[in-house]
Amino acid sequence: MAQPVLYPPTQLSPAAALALSQRAPTILRSSPSTVSSSPFSALFAGSEKSELWLQYENLILSCLRTGDENAARQCLQRLVARFGEDNERVQALSGLVKEAEAKSNSALEGILKEYDQILSESDTNIPIVKRRIALLRSMGRVSDATSALVQLLEFSPTDAEAWSELSDIYLSQGLYPQAIYAMEEVLVLAPNAWNIHARLGELQYMAATAPGVAHGSYQKYMAEAIKRFSRSIELCDDYLRGYYGLKLVSKKLLSDGAKATKLPEDGEVSFPDTKTIERLNELATAKLVEIVRHSTAHDRGWRGYSQAEIAAAQELLSEDESAASGIKR
Amino acid sequence: MTFLSRVITAFGGLLLTHACYSAREHTALQSLRAATASSLTSSPTVSSSLPLDIILETLISTLIILVGLVLGTRPLRPIEWRVWAGKIEREGEAGFTDGSGVVDRDYMGNPFSVFESRPNFVDIRKQRKEFAEWVQKGGAEATRYYAGGTQ
Repeated sequence: MAQPVLYPPTQLSPAAALALSQRAPTILRSSPSTVSSSPFSALFAGSEKSELWLQYENLILSCLRTGDENAARQCLQRLVARFGEDNERVQALSGLVKEAEAKSNSALEGILKEYDQILSESDTNIPIVKRRIALLRSMGRVSDATSALVQLLEFSPTDAEAWSELSDIYLSQGLYPQAIYAMEEVLVLAPNAWNIHARLGELQYMAATAPGVAHGSYQKYMAEAIKRFSRSIELCDDYLRGYYGLKLVSKKLLSDGAKATKLPEDGEVSFPDTKTIERLNELATAKLVEIVRHSTAHDRGWRGYSQAEIAAAQELLSEDESAASGIKR
Repeated sequence: MTFLSRVITAFGGLLLTHACYSAREHTALQSLRAATASSLTSSPTVSSSLPLDIILETLISTLIILVGLVLGTRPLRPIEWRVWAGKIEREGEAGFTDGSGVVDRDYMGNPFSVFESRPNFVDIRKQRKEFAEWVQKGGAEATRYYAGGTQ
């Protein structure tokens, strides 16, 4: 299996990351150790590919994760040899390697000072700004990280990744309205992102089921969650995560009974009526059953789902079945 | 599928070569005949066109090559967004692999997944800790299984 190492490895499972980092020596050996940037050598040595550098970046990430610092350092050296120490991305990557190797808290403080030093020279060095925020968060200084992130978003408001990080920080603090707001900003920047729609639906659901939420806002969150999950399904056929969320939300609403689905007084929120919710629930159930059946049978063309997600869907479906048999009894 | 298309293309190429060769032979023969005829009778010769079978052979062989090439192309990408997105989610890498098992160069899974994984904000120390815990919990066993499964 010689898949390219072109997409960021942070979403890989530990086993896949390990397999990737075990391939690092082979990749390092098979690619040239230095690529000259002079145009004359490019005439003779063939063109350099941008994939190569992307590959090195991703290798650094997964090798650091699995603790293979030697390979990470080699990759970094090659990037430095090509782009120089002053390149912003290379600076961020070398900071990342230092962070991973730091043993004590004082070492982390030192790295933080280095970042501040770099930023005092040029405060628009976005990769370093991001590293600094991530380091602050990792050290537990969440409020500092949040204010730095808000500052970053002030001068770079089209950075969807930063908005998403902000949403995650707020979520970790239990500030649901803020987290939802930040995630909505991501959607403004990437309106076709089906996973972000599902993510926003999940946030709304979490906000609705959080303890101590008022009844009016509960309805608002649930209505929004239904909308978001429906949109994610609209954007992506057979989207397991979207159908799962839709089923979860519609089931909860149906179990709440008729009183919960009544329109709130202010009339700001448009709520689907019970019949629509029932039909959505049926649709989600049917789709989930289909996906689970095909996926567990390893049918051709249905092998892209992650096993954990399939297991979760199975659990949700079996809960449903046991509830139904309980009613019959 | 690719083997069939290659065979068809090769056959068409063979036919086309044959047609070209026949056409060349035909013109050579014609000019020779014209030369001998003019030296003998010195009368203007009628200009002759290619015989019908060579023309037909050329056209048909081109068609056969076209069919072979079309059969050998990759399956077309879905045009509709939701179908394309659904294909990514449902089939994963396997949906973007051609006949010889090579994944498309520009396949990258869900292109929006970076907004959730956020590689520039990665907390590398936490990831290392999680990985170490995973190894301690007998992840090596799982790895062996994983490596065996992919071979």
